[in-house]
Amino acid sequence: MKKNLKETKTVLVVEDDQPLLAVIKMKLEKEGMHVITSRSVDRVFSIEIEKNAANKITMSSVELSLKHLNDLDRIDAVWLDHNLLGSENGLDFVIKFKDNGGHWEKIPIFVVSNTADPELVQKYAAAQVPNYYVKAEHTLESIVNDIKNVLLGEKK
Amino acid sequence: MKPRADDTSQPYSDRELQGLKELKTARASILKNLQDTEEESQNNLQKTAIDEAVLESIGDGLVVMDKLGIITYVNPALERMVGWTLDEIVGNSIVDTLILEKEKGEKVSYNEEILSKVLAGGIVVADLTNPFYHVRKDKSTFPISTTVSPILLAGEIIGAVMTFRDITKEKEIDKAKTEFVSLASHQLRTPLSTINWYTEMLLAGDVGKLSDKQDTYLREIYRGSQRMVSLVNALLSVSRMDLGTFVLEPEPTDFVRLIQTIIREQQFHIERKKIIVTTSFQDSLPLIHADGKLLSMVVQNILSNAVKYTPDNGTIDLTLTLIPSANTLRLKIKDTGYGIPLAQQEQIFTKLFRADNVREKETEGTGLGLYIAKTIIDNSEGRLWFESEENKGTTFYLELPAFSDQVTTKHKV
Repeated sequence: MKKNLKETKTVLVVEDDQPLLAVIKMKLEKEGMHVITSRSVDRVFSIEIEKNAANKITMSSVELSLKHLNDLDRIDAVWLDHNLLGSENGLDFVIKFKDNGGHWEKIPIFVVSNTADPELVQKYAAAQVPNYYVKAEHTLESIVNDIKNVLLGEKK
Repeated sequence: MKPRADDTSQPYSDRELQGLKELKTARASILKNLQDTEEESQNNLQKTAIDEAVLESIGDGLVVMDKLGIITYVNPALERMVGWTLDEIVGNSIVDTLILEKEKGEKVSYNEEILSKVLAGGIVVADLTNPFYHVRKDKSTFPISTTVSPILLAGEIIGAVMTFRDITKEKEIDKAKTEFVSLASHQLRTPLSTINWYTEMLLAGDVGKLSDKQDTYLREIYRGSQRMVSLVNALLSVSRMDLGTFVLEPEPTDFVRLIQTIIREQQFHIERKKIIVTTSFQDSLPLIHADGKLLSMVVQNILSNAVKYTPDNGTIDLTLTLIPSANTLRLKIKDTGYGIPLAQQEQIFTKLFRADNVREKETEGTGLGLYIAKTIIDNSEGRLWFESEENKGTTFYLELPAFSDQVTTKHKV
């Protein structure tokens, strides 16, 4: 039973495993969502403008950074893995993300992790992230549906 | 009575001669006795020397105590292990001297857990899976495996012998093994999710319609992958139990509802095998004090075993009753299945064990389910046991403490 979202919603997917990231993106897009991805915490918050070989800023890199900024501003939900590339993990992300205050604090975050460690689940719950999924135990569809339902509910 | 030298004729009367003869015999027998005693004491000395050498040279620590638990002997290995010398502790009560703790730091009560059992003729054993920890003189601790056996003299228990083996190394190896299992299992989850999620998308037709054959094949792949997920989950549960990182969060739980949910989850398999499941729940049962998630795992394990190992058209009866005297709830799950062979009943809760008769019939099964179930229940102040007869069926019993005051409402079955 497919429910349609009235307007395109943007989901940020933070996941370090390339093949998983690809399939999550595919599924979310299939459900009509706009997806932005990152494999590390740094990349999400980085607005650094890339330079070309001649160490010059190019128009396209500026556009890319602006687009990223624009995307960041439009995030409606976050799909978050715990273990990520780089030194920071999902919990670090949550802290940085919520630190922005305002509407950022209210954006729903869905942690989809490898471990079912109750201590970790507790830590996320304490950081106001109650949606915790253990990867291998859920179908992609069930998690995507949960995200959709939350986004739909928010509309009411 | 010296014979006179000048008297060559018969110097003694018959009576005197007779007396002399008796004296001679007596002397000989005394001499013989003395000799025997000396030989015996020689033998004893030798025996003692051997015993001492044995006691001194064995690597395991050894404590001998009397009926009251007063230490009468410790060997050098024990002295080295615990940091006390023989002179310091002989005559002391073992209860105050050789302090033992359990895994989580609670004190082992000698009187309740060791002495009373041994003095009743039993043997107490602690080993790698369930060791004691000894608190040294300097308060540091180390894991020991131990056996405590009674000393019998003419059928009467006069004391006990306790052996100490330092199993620090074994424990470390065991921990490393468990950590490896835990790590490996976690790492397995990522590729499993990749397989599952991509297969799921293919099956959903998200990337185009599949032919019937492709669909069938993919479903088999998916099922295999799901089995792998269950195995990884079971291995992770076991490693968490072995590492002692399994956290139980008991709360008032509605046992009836929990059982009903699990039956519903198994409905597909129950119907496929045309098994008749009946339930009988006593009215107004109190809630139980248990970790709902883990208890679900236990009941799920027992029920799915019953379904798996009961031939088509069999029956499974679930009965839940309150035992008021013990303030516990007892769940009885009775099947008409293959049963557990008598010779293997003792091993049924052992990690990775599967009984021969079911191994021949079902390839699926990890041999971890009942181990997990038993560990959870043992840690929940509950009891789990069974009765079984091959080719007749198995009945599992599960008892858990009731949570007083709160009563569940009537349940519709």
